[in-house]
Amino acid sequence: MLLKNLRLTNFRQFKGEQLISFSTYPDRNVTIIMGENGSGKTTLAQAFTWCLYGDTDFEDKSMLSKAVALNMLPDEEASVRVELDLVHNGIEYTIIREQKYSKDSSGNLRRPSQTTFKIAFKGADGQREFVPDLETEIRMKEILPKELSKYFFFDGERIEKMSKEIRRGKSKEFAEAVKSLLGLSAFTAALNHLKSRSPSSVIRSYDNSYDAGSDVRIAQYTKEIDELDDKIDAITRRLAEIDKEEAIAQDKCDELKEKIVKFKDSEDLAKEREALRKKLNGLISSKASSTAVLLRTFNNNAQQYFAKKMMKDALQLLSEADKLDKGIPDIHERTIKFLIDRGSCICNNKIEFNNDAYKALMKVLEYIPPQSLGSLIGQFVRDCESKSKGGSSLFEDISEQYRIIRNFETDYADVENKIKLIEERLVNMENVGLLQKELINYERRLNYLKKERDELNIEQGSYETQKKLKIAERKELTLKDEANRKIEVYKAYAQYMYDVLLDEYTQKETETRNQLQKTVNGIFKHIYNGGLALSLDENYNVNIIVNDFRGYNSDVETSTAQSISVIFAFIAGVIKMARDSQNDENEMLVSEPYPLVMDAPLSAFDKTRIQTVCDILPKVAEQVIIFIKDTDGELAETHMGQQVGARYLFDKKNEFETYLVTR
Amino acid sequence: MFDKEYSFRGSHAAKVIKLTASFDQKNNKVFARNFDVYLLAPIVGFMYGRSAPIDRENNEKTDIFPDILIKNKNDLMFNYRLIMLLDKDYEPDFDERINKAFRYYGTEKAQPDEERYDSYVRGGVDVLYEKIMEGAKKPDDYLKNLYDFIEEFEERYNSSVSTDSILNLCKLARS
Repeated sequence: MLLKNLRLTNFRQFKGEQLISFSTYPDRNVTIIMGENGSGKTTLAQAFTWCLYGDTDFEDKSMLSKAVALNMLPDEEASVRVELDLVHNGIEYTIIREQKYSKDSSGNLRRPSQTTFKIAFKGADGQREFVPDLETEIRMKEILPKELSKYFFFDGERIEKMSKEIRRGKSKEFAEAVKSLLGLSAFTAALNHLKSRSPSSVIRSYDNSYDAGSDVRIAQYTKEIDELDDKIDAITRRLAEIDKEEAIAQDKCDELKEKIVKFKDSEDLAKEREALRKKLNGLISSKASSTAVLLRTFNNNAQQYFAKKMMKDALQLLSEADKLDKGIPDIHERTIKFLIDRGSCICNNKIEFNNDAYKALMKVLEYIPPQSLGSLIGQFVRDCESKSKGGSSLFEDISEQYRIIRNFETDYADVENKIKLIEERLVNMENVGLLQKELINYERRLNYLKKERDELNIEQGSYETQKKLKIAERKELTLKDEANRKIEVYKAYAQYMYDVLLDEYTQKETETRNQLQKTVNGIFKHIYNGGLALSLDENYNVNIIVNDFRGYNSDVETSTAQSISVIFAFIAGVIKMARDSQNDENEMLVSEPYPLVMDAPLSAFDKTRIQTVCDILPKVAEQVIIFIKDTDGELAETHMGQQVGARYLFDKKNEFETYLVTR
Repeated sequence: MFDKEYSFRGSHAAKVIKLTASFDQKNNKVFARNFDVYLLAPIVGFMYGRSAPIDRENNEKTDIFPDILIKNKNDLMFNYRLIMLLDKDYEPDFDERINKAFRYYGTEKAQPDEERYDSYVRGGVDVLYEKIMEGAKKPDDYLKNLYDFIEEFEERYNSSVSTDSILNLCKLARS
């Protein structure tokens, strides 16, 4: 298949009719279409799949150009159309897909109609003819089956997923697709025709043509064998499903185990953090109680402490003024009052109201008990004595307590800092406990699947035995009848032919696979020169093998560049093989070469690899069409310069309008 | 005085309320009660030479009940006597100061003295608030301010006053 032209009409941001002609020269088979991100590279790649199969990866399923939709009047109609001219098997086809959009009377876009799909071709007389509508889907399948198309129309973003699928040989369809590409499908078709579950297969049709008239049991056996076949089939299907489910669960387990190992530290860190948090809480309450002690000390002794200087000053004044003790020992107020009442002193002096003696005695009253000034001052002095003792150590006590509190602060900051560091490390780690839980679930699922498979295998085995038994018994019955005996003979011929063909096919298939492995490896080594090799098993699983121990650095995890190299090598290998087999004299193996349409495939590579990829692709594929961003594009052009036959540029006017211009 | 309810008013009430408020989650307060402020404030006011009139700007008010004043009357009297004995600016004559400290208390004559004493209480509240509360945002700040205040006081006054010197003076006064 060679792509010639792509005509877009109002497809997404490609407003109006826009044409792109791909280079079909054998020696200049590369078409480069350059554009910055967001200019329409992916849209153009999607235009192929929409045209061929009617679907896209867009979230917005409306294909109509927004610029056109905006200018449509109420009740007006517009259509989106993509036409792809291609040559397949020597016939020129035009694949056409169209979809009509219309607005209602209030100017809202209606739901679009179903797409119409047509395939036109140039007949032998050069006239353009259309493939009848009912046959278009089948014809498309012949030209390029959809499941295969993604290996020829692919974008860089999907590339990693694809490489994983290839490496895992994910689906049988894929193996089938590869076989058909490599021209082995004629074999498989013949094998299927001879013997398959379809009632129209040769051997099955013989089974159904036994003359049951001779013995009713023959029909009974045939019916029972059919039923057993159905059961066996159901089990086979379920086993295939189990394989898939198992692969997914196993993947998930591996991924989780890896994460658990990686995040094992997080558990320890979380424990450490918990311990530190406890310590922090301990520090907080210790600090609080120390604070309480300090404040209690302060409240209990503040007066004594702050009054110290005043006490000293007051005592100094009092002692200097000699005010402290002017009392007469053992003389009480009562003594003086008695003398005044008597009117004469102990010394016999006369005491009269307001005479000198009276005044002197009244003065004495101030200094003797009980209400004397002297005793009041004495009390004050005693207060000073006790208070000065009470407040004496306040500053030292508080200094010490404050120092302890400050230490807490330092410890606190220290612990807090440690917690912060741990938390920073934990940010990017997942919770191992949760991962472990998830892992257990998946492992349980795996076990369950394993058990189910074992049971199914046993069941299937018993059905097979029953089936064999019934076939043998039926055979015994059929041989008794002339007509049935004939059928038995035909069946034996058919079985023989099947066996011979299968033998041949197996041999060819192995040869082809070995050849493919060699081809793919040759290309892989060229692209990825890291001491790795690829191997293909019978399901076309690609395995990466380390074949150079010197370069082996225990990192078996594939890098992006490696993954992409694998898929490039694989696709390039398949295409190369398909192309080579076209010239093969063995007519049993016919194939058609396919183009390679790629969206931004080079970003993940370094410059040397870009060069090797650019070098290899035009050689292995009959036609290469690349959508690429400016920077990569320039590199690609430098390396593929000689092979580039057509150049286009995405000219982005605005978000809704891009035009394709030749460069 | 010292036997009936006492009230801080206006800005002083507001300051006392803050000085006795919890500053951390563990319910720690710089001053445990209004009374503790009342006991220390006159000393601080006198030492820092700060007095203040009653603030009647607003109706804010916080009280100390009489029972606690009566119970601690001796400590309060001690303050009163210290200030009366030492306030030379108020009364230059020492004998008269002695009278104020020991004789006039509780009489009509003591009215202005008690007024003087209260103004030192208020001035002291201002000083305590400035020293301990101002600029404090988190619990640690209050503690730091309190410590700095005590340290400053230690350096300014108390480092030169040993307990022994006081005890010696007491002996001297009694002999």
